[in-house]
Amino acid sequence: MTDDPNNLSKSLSARQSATAQGAPRTWLIAKKEIMANIRNFKMPVALVAMTLLLLLSTRLLALDYRHRLDNWSVNQASQRDPVIGSNVKYDLSDGDFFHRAGIGRNPPIQRPQPFSALIKGMDGEVDRTVSVSQRIVFGARQDEPATSALFDTPDTSFVIKLLVSLFALMFSLDTMTREKEVGTLRAMLAQPIRRRDLILYKSLGASISLLAPFAIAYAGEIIYLRLAHGLLSSREDLIRAALIFGLGALYGVVFVHIGIFISAITTRTKTAVTTALLTWAAIVLVLPNATVLMAKLLTPAPSYNQLNARLYEARQRILQEGDEANPATRPAPEQPVSGRTLLRLFEVERQLTDNYLASKKDQNSLAKLFAALSPAGALTFGLSDLAGTGVGAHTSYLELFRSGRDTLLDALKRRLDLPPQTGDKLVQEAREMIATGQRRAEPLGVSLRSSVIPIASLFAWAAIFGLAAHWRFKRYDVR
Amino acid sequence: MFRTILRRELQETLSSSTLLFAVVVLTILVLLSAYIQARYYRRVVEDYSLRQNIHQVENSGRAIVLIRPLPPLLPFFNGAYDSLPDEFRLQSDSVITNPLSGDLTPLDWLFPKVDLSFIIGVLMTLLTILLAHDTIVVDREQGTLKLILSGPVQRRTVLAAKLTGVILLMTIILVYVVLLYTAVVKVFSGGTVDLSVANLSALAVSSLAALLVFVVIAALGVAISISVRSPLVSLSLCATIWMVTVLIWPSLGPHIASSFKTVSTWEAAQRDISLKERELIQAELAEQKKTAADLKAQNVGVESAWRQYLELRRRWMERRNVEIGRLVEERKRQIRDQQFFARRILAFSPYVAFKETLGSLCGTGLESHDEFLAAVERYGQQEFLPASFDLLSRQKPWLNGAKPDDRVQLRPLQTPPPALSERLAAAAWPLSVLIAEIIILLMVGIIGFERYDVR
Repeated sequence: MTDDPNNLSKSLSARQSATAQGAPRTWLIAKKEIMANIRNFKMPVALVAMTLLLLLSTRLLALDYRHRLDNWSVNQASQRDPVIGSNVKYDLSDGDFFHRAGIGRNPPIQRPQPFSALIKGMDGEVDRTVSVSQRIVFGARQDEPATSALFDTPDTSFVIKLLVSLFALMFSLDTMTREKEVGTLRAMLAQPIRRRDLILYKSLGASISLLAPFAIAYAGEIIYLRLAHGLLSSREDLIRAALIFGLGALYGVVFVHIGIFISAITTRTKTAVTTALLTWAAIVLVLPNATVLMAKLLTPAPSYNQLNARLYEARQRILQEGDEANPATRPAPEQPVSGRTLLRLFEVERQLTDNYLASKKDQNSLAKLFAALSPAGALTFGLSDLAGTGVGAHTSYLELFRSGRDTLLDALKRRLDLPPQTGDKLVQEAREMIATGQRRAEPLGVSLRSSVIPIASLFAWAAIFGLAAHWRFKRYDVR
Repeated sequence: MFRTILRRELQETLSSSTLLFAVVVLTILVLLSAYIQARYYRRVVEDYSLRQNIHQVENSGRAIVLIRPLPPLLPFFNGAYDSLPDEFRLQSDSVITNPLSGDLTPLDWLFPKVDLSFIIGVLMTLLTILLAHDTIVVDREQGTLKLILSGPVQRRTVLAAKLTGVILLMTIILVYVVLLYTAVVKVFSGGTVDLSVANLSALAVSSLAALLVFVVIAALGVAISISVRSPLVSLSLCATIWMVTVLIWPSLGPHIASSFKTVSTWEAAQRDISLKERELIQAELAEQKKTAADLKAQNVGVESAWRQYLELRRRWMERRNVEIGRLVEERKRQIRDQQFFARRILAFSPYVAFKETLGSLCGTGLESHDEFLAAVERYGQQEFLPASFDLLSRQKPWLNGAKPDDRVQLRPLQTPPPALSERLAAAAWPLSVLIAEIIILLMVGIIGFERYDVR
């Protein structure tokens, strides 16, 4: 599997006489790693696997995005449908009655983000109608048929999370153990090379072996999205795409370091592979989920049903209090309540809804913080932040409804003190503003700022495992 | 000889650090996720009774809300329960059943819910692969296989002993995991989890299904172990197959299915329905207007006019039922086609088969949801609409006075949980896929090992 050891020693000694100290000689180690990975088909396999999966995933997600966009545009068009409603009076000599019939229109939904074709993140949450008036009512999600509800979304984040980490381990795991098994490690260390340089250039070699196919596959994916689907065409989009690649690459480097570290603590390739697979499962599958579970445990958020129940209770209480305060004005329950009582009711509802939304926001923020404790968790949050489909974007999505509702409540409050015509006009304007309110894409700067924690976490992990590998390798018994 | 090999196999595995590490990780995760699921279930149960009380007060002859009964084994397997609506409103003037509202669950988009199905289906299958991939190939490499086979032992016995070793260990771990999970759920759910005989037996059958999955994976590991020459290659191959069948394909499959079998978007379906409804409402209004004018001209008494009005209204309701029902049915057919296709292309993944089995057994799968929705629609047609029409026909809106009582007396919606045999029958397809996989892989293993070159 490895390059011919004699060749390497020869070239090493040849170079030694030719050049003085330092880089050129050690660069050979990296070059040898890369050449070995090309010859033993690891790199071609990685290239093919990553290209295929990234292309497949992005095609499926682009179709998914288009489907969601269609759904949104139909909904947008239907916002202009007239509301039909009419009465027919059966006016007869000895009495009369009415026939009433009517139909309204669906509340609006928000436009999906184009970047969700690459990283879907939390963007699937917006596929629901949200009606905003004095209250915010979230409709059920419209993504049936929900066969996909049972499994992860297969977006680019998913592919990077699984494949880049696994290939990183594949390239880095046997760097020490195999050379030790074959005996080349001794030969190499007999040369005037510092162990620090050796491990540095081995890590460089493995990283390049990993990142070269990843870069090609990723570039292919972006080109496909641009050419076939017309997405990611602006300059800002390309910067975002590049940043996403950067984060994925950093994640890959973390796993290269983990692989070298495992290689430096084990003596046989077989043990190294088993340990790596278990570590991989723990880091990629268990740890992110466990940290998110912890965050959910620490910030219990009420469910939407509970919110509705509390709203209902509050409504009953306030209406009853209103009745008791002036029993003469409201003889029957179906008669309208006074404006002041209604406003009080809206105020209580506003607080309850805001508490619900705030608890969801807290849960997301804590989950994001905790997830940074694992590279895979940090990657998931970091990628969705960079794509503008993450926690920040979701928060501003909820903020849009909140501010819409507040504007309306404000208008309703002011209407009480204004002449009827002016007041009604004010309320009507507020309603129109809400109806046409669509969220804007998150600016790049905001996305970058919100992804600071995940990025820092990945840098820290890369450094920790790099140093740990270096520290272990200094004591590594090469015999 | 069988026993000797088995004992040696068990001893070897028990002394390895892999098993210890895995058991520790599993224990931590089981404790954490069972605790969270138990608390979550408690909240769901509280929600449920709250919602029921509210709807009981609010239900009227014009509209009622039906809530999906809670699956008792929800804390063990969430399935699709959370991502699908569980409240439906029936209205007297509409024939479509639409979900009311939905919770915000943004984190679920990034991280799947960790329940027993994830622990068994993902983590424990990986452990099985790690235990099974080197059963034969390591012995060959170390030369012990030659030694074993030089004794008076059939090759088939060796294979059986090796396979039994892996499966026995996995059974012990499975029992440990399921018992620990159940205990934690029971303790922390505040008595809300009903561990009746029926539910316990469903849980036991789920564990048996899990065992089938382990047998599939172990047989796969052994079959690969026989067909390659180095433990490292065997491990890489096994890990790749595991990754594709457990992680990648189940995620891709549904999306592939939806790109082949397209379904019109939700809003487009709503638009078609709403167009039709508008058309029918306009037509009905026109006819009502005409009838009202005719009756007035004929100087008919109000009671007789009311009877004629009711008759007209009933006719129009029936027409709407038929015409809109056709549109609804068309979309349902598309969805069914897509789901059927997805199930077929996903079938070979043991993880998917396991989840489907759990969905049927625990009542949290897609099918259980569809069944409930069908029951709601039936209830609307057979119970609610006639009762609400009956209520209307007894009213005398031309008499001034107190508002008529619009409370409707309804037989509650009965959706008894299916018996275990019915649930098993629903899970027949995934279970038979698992069994077929076991048979094929065992055959491959046996035939391969009979011809195996032990040198």
